[in-house]
Amino acid sequence: MAWLLIGAIFLVGLWGVMSKANMVKKVMGLSIANSAIILLFVYYGSLSGKTAPIERTGKAMVDPLPQALMLTAIVVGVCVMALALVLVYRLYLKFHTLDMGEVERRAWELHD
Amino acid sequence: MTENLLVWVLLTPLLGASAALAGKVLKPLEKILCVLATASLMVPAVILARLSGPVMAGETLHYSLGGWPEPYGISLVMDGISWISAALTSAIALAVAVFSLGNGRYGSRYFFFLLMMVTGMYGVAITGDLFTMFVFFEIIAVAVYVLIAWEGTATGLAASLKYLLLSTTGVLFFLLGIFLIYRDVGVLSISQVSTALRGMGGAANTPVMHLALACLCVGIGVRTAFIPFHTWLPEAHAYAPHPISAILSGAMIKVSFFAMVRIILQFGGEYLFGLLMWIGAITALAAVVSALAQSDVKRLLAYHSISQLGYILAVFGAGSSIALTASFFHSLNHALFKSLLFLTAGAAVSYSGQRNLYKIGGLGRKMPVFAAAFFVGALSITGIPPFNGFASKAFITMGMKNSPAYPLLWITGFLTLASFIKLGRIFMPSRNTEEMEGKHRPGTLQTITVVTLALACTATGVFGGPIAGFLHEMLYGSVLGTTPPLYSWASILKVIPAVLLGTAVFGLVTTSRGKALSIKVQALAPQLRTVLVFFFAGFLAFAAVAW
Repeated sequence: MAWLLIGAIFLVGLWGVMSKANMVKKVMGLSIANSAIILLFVYYGSLSGKTAPIERTGKAMVDPLPQALMLTAIVVGVCVMALALVLVYRLYLKFHTLDMGEVERRAWELHD
Repeated sequence: MTENLLVWVLLTPLLGASAALAGKVLKPLEKILCVLATASLMVPAVILARLSGPVMAGETLHYSLGGWPEPYGISLVMDGISWISAALTSAIALAVAVFSLGNGRYGSRYFFFLLMMVTGMYGVAITGDLFTMFVFFEIIAVAVYVLIAWEGTATGLAASLKYLLLSTTGVLFFLLGIFLIYRDVGVLSISQVSTALRGMGGAANTPVMHLALACLCVGIGVRTAFIPFHTWLPEAHAYAPHPISAILSGAMIKVSFFAMVRIILQFGGEYLFGLLMWIGAITALAAVVSALAQSDVKRLLAYHSISQLGYILAVFGAGSSIALTASFFHSLNHALFKSLLFLTAGAAVSYSGQRNLYKIGGLGRKMPVFAAAFFVGALSITGIPPFNGFASKAFITMGMKNSPAYPLLWITGFLTLASFIKLGRIFMPSRNTEEMEGKHRPGTLQTITVVTLALACTATGVFGGPIAGFLHEMLYGSVLGTTPPLYSWASILKVIPAVLLGTAVFGLVTTSRGKALSIKVQALAPQLRTVLVFFFAGFLAFAAVAW
């Protein structure tokens, strides 16, 4: 069940990137898809044990590696999302619209 | 001892980046700190030269950061592929940094992002595990997004956002691929995954690994920009500052390509070769047709980057050892001549203040050195002896002997020539010469950079055989068996039909009907939505090819 849910979240994110016209919503879609990948790693890691990964407690601890990896992935994701929103803001200042199709059309007219 | 040097390849550009950033606080020292940052790029080059001996002897150097063993720590690995990749980065990064320094318009923030990008490229080249590769790919990406939008123009910002959306989607698939590998194999270091997969009978026998390899290839494929993932490249490369276009085309797409080569070869992805060969050949042809139709100077060059990458990919797909050598040789040559072309054409664009090649003309008299260097680059890319494009195309011909995809590459050859006759007019004498008033005159450092690159293009052409032999020894640790006769009469005469056909095609393009068709082809640039559809189609192709 959890696997299917994670898959569904991933697909919702991709759908958002693809078919929402609003640039902010596109960035949100990316963020959702990114969260799905993070959930995937963390959920998989959580299946491998029962307690927090502290050595020599004698209990079955979870695999610490997926959590450690995802900590990095979250940081990277935050940076990219922040940068994406800055770009969206700057584009809004230029064109006064958030519609990606409109922005692309007007940017295309500027080329020669 | 020598293995400790490995970490300095990463650390020096990082320190250089910090030095450049310090220039933002210490305003009076900004110039000096930028020079320092540029100088820091020489250290990796020296280290690489020192490491070339052991690597060529077939040794694989390892270094574990902080002394942590492999499953937990970050390991750096230097073998033949990483050496070539890092060396290419050094050469182009140094040239681009010196050129930017000579321009004088770029301050400490620019150098910070440039050096972060270079750090990322070294990281991708020498990393030993998949997750670290992801992190370094994102370091490159964040720096590149900023640099593409550097001028703050609407077109640059739009290009940067489009690239961001596409490449972040690609990177999510890359992470998914890492997950699948971690789930089934339990390790992430490339060499350990490779060993484990061999134990399981190679990626070809395990369906989940097909999916994993497809995810990894698609994630890197967006950075490498072959069809169907190429759509971000023309705009991103066209609207970035000129030195950045040079390093993006010259080094960044090659570094990603080398990472893909390493993953495919190590994980037993030989079943992808057929697909890659056809993708490469179609990329080469389709992109050169688009290039021929462009009227924007830098956009034309950007399409040529995709097209030349098609050559590199197609010959890699041919699969033999000479084919891989040819692929790497052409990557090296393309890095040299494409950064040369972007720097010289970019200087012409800055000088005239125009991007449309029909509005620029007669710059040959105003900037003779740049014109000469531009023509060296143009002759290289079109494969005229004795420049380097000729040498590597001879190797490609040999590597793809009897391959059904070769005719596409041959057609690409003369179309390339036609489009460079078209582009060459910016330096040729023309009627509206008097209108060209100099806006940004190139400085001494810039002239030195382009002259050095032009000399490098000539040298790698004249000594093509020995250089290919060196690359082969780096990759396989053995001497290259057979080489094509580079400078025999037969091979030189083979150029003549291509020249004639190219001139004929150029004639056709400049007719009024050809111009009308060009405008139609230009308008084919797809919107983001279509681009993402392309992306998923490409992913399905990579995943389905095993059956």
